[in-house]
Amino acid sequence: MPYVIAAPCIDIMDKSCIEECPVDCIYEGERKLYINPKECIDCGACEPVCPVEAITQDRRVAPEHADFVDDNRRFFTEPLSGRDDPLGAPGGSHRTGPIGVDTPMVAGR
Amino acid sequence: MSAVEVDLLIVGAGPVGLFGAYYAGVRGLKVAVVDSLSQVGGQVSALYPEKQILDIAGFPAVPGRRLISNLVEQAAPYDPVYLLGQEAQQLERVPRADRPDLLIVKTGTGAEIAAGAVVITGGIGTFTPRPLPAGEDFVGKGLEYFVTSSAEYAGKDVVVVGGGDSAVDWALMFQPIAASVTLVHRRESFRAHHGSVERLKASSVQVVTNAQVTTTKGGEQLEAIEVAVKGEREPRTIVCQKLVAALGFTAHLGPLRDWGIELNDNRHLVVSSAMRTNVPGIFAAGDITDYDGKVRLIAVGFGEVATAVNNAAVHVDPAAQLFPGHSTDNPASVPAPA
Repeated sequence: MPYVIAAPCIDIMDKSCIEECPVDCIYEGERKLYINPKECIDCGACEPVCPVEAITQDRRVAPEHADFVDDNRRFFTEPLSGRDDPLGAPGGSHRTGPIGVDTPMVAGR
Repeated sequence: MSAVEVDLLIVGAGPVGLFGAYYAGVRGLKVAVVDSLSQVGGQVSALYPEKQILDIAGFPAVPGRRLISNLVEQAAPYDPVYLLGQEAQQLERVPRADRPDLLIVKTGTGAEIAAGAVVITGGIGTFTPRPLPAGEDFVGKGLEYFVTSSAEYAGKDVVVVGGGDSAVDWALMFQPIAASVTLVHRRESFRAHHGSVERLKASSVQVVTNAQVTTTKGGEQLEAIEVAVKGEREPRTIVCQKLVAALGFTAHLGPLRDWGIELNDNRHLVVSSAMRTNVPGIFAAGDITDYDGKVRLIAVGFGEVATAVNNAAVHVDPAAQLFPGHSTDNPASVPAPA
């Protein structure tokens, strides 16, 4: 049920969405932001503030960005480069600070 | 310290908690509802009071604010005790002979609530206002995160920071009584209700957009702030004795984390089909629960809390039946249709 951040965020990372999110579930990679699907409450506060319109509900993602739905999830469920364990649900990006790594799919773009 | 004794304590005054208060009344249970926010309605009141909610059975569309006032009205005949503006923090357990343990919950303001059972309807957790980083030195000395009494703002120079409903509503509320009102918003456009923004434009409130508060100044009390405006080289100084930061909320599970309840994903309480947690006497309902097949919708929460309260009623009095009867069984208890 979460919102998803797609390609337009890559190398932009405005982070306005991070300021709006009431549950602090948007995490910072190296070149892109990621919404934790386990923590997102589907409130939609992030969507209108994104200056590059990168954010949509997972069920409304444009076909050309469909692979970002799974990619956002993978950021949290698969170990990122240089880490032994997946991020999981850390309970807020203020707690973790920037993660500084992207998923392989984003890193390859 | 104040002590409250009830049969059932509900933690969380969102829509599911309020409906639980009604259901506790139906079961003849004395009930208290505690919430960290100073108003009832939880997420609905804090995040989208004006939004039309479309998935309440029997109501094709109902604004959030009205849904909440209706729920309060529905529970009112049973006189629930509301303990608002205080977070449920510690849980203690007192064994009793031949009866289930007494559960004692202490709140952040020092209140103690003793209950036979607890139903947690905590949704996404405790809301805390998003802090204004430049203002930390003046919290309680001019900087406020909640407006409790408008009288404190009479004759003062007031600055409100934010772009949502609370910020715009508060600016409009202060405008007739304050010496001056300035609204500072980080962006160009406001997220608040369209009608409120129109009223704002027609009012004498000074609006500064694309701007951020960078410095707060004063001695014992706040005296002025500095605001950096995009495209201006020098910061603007605004004289003010009151600064209200309405930057939204963040929510965290909070102290419930330490009550020994099994968690999923570090934020949801695991419950059985009876809405029992692993801790005897503690039940849960609504968005905060998790089980196989869970769907986080308000419609689901209403059903869960009916299950939770009825099972809690049996926990409090093991001789009681689980099934409460129908709401229409006792015509005397049915309020006259509005």
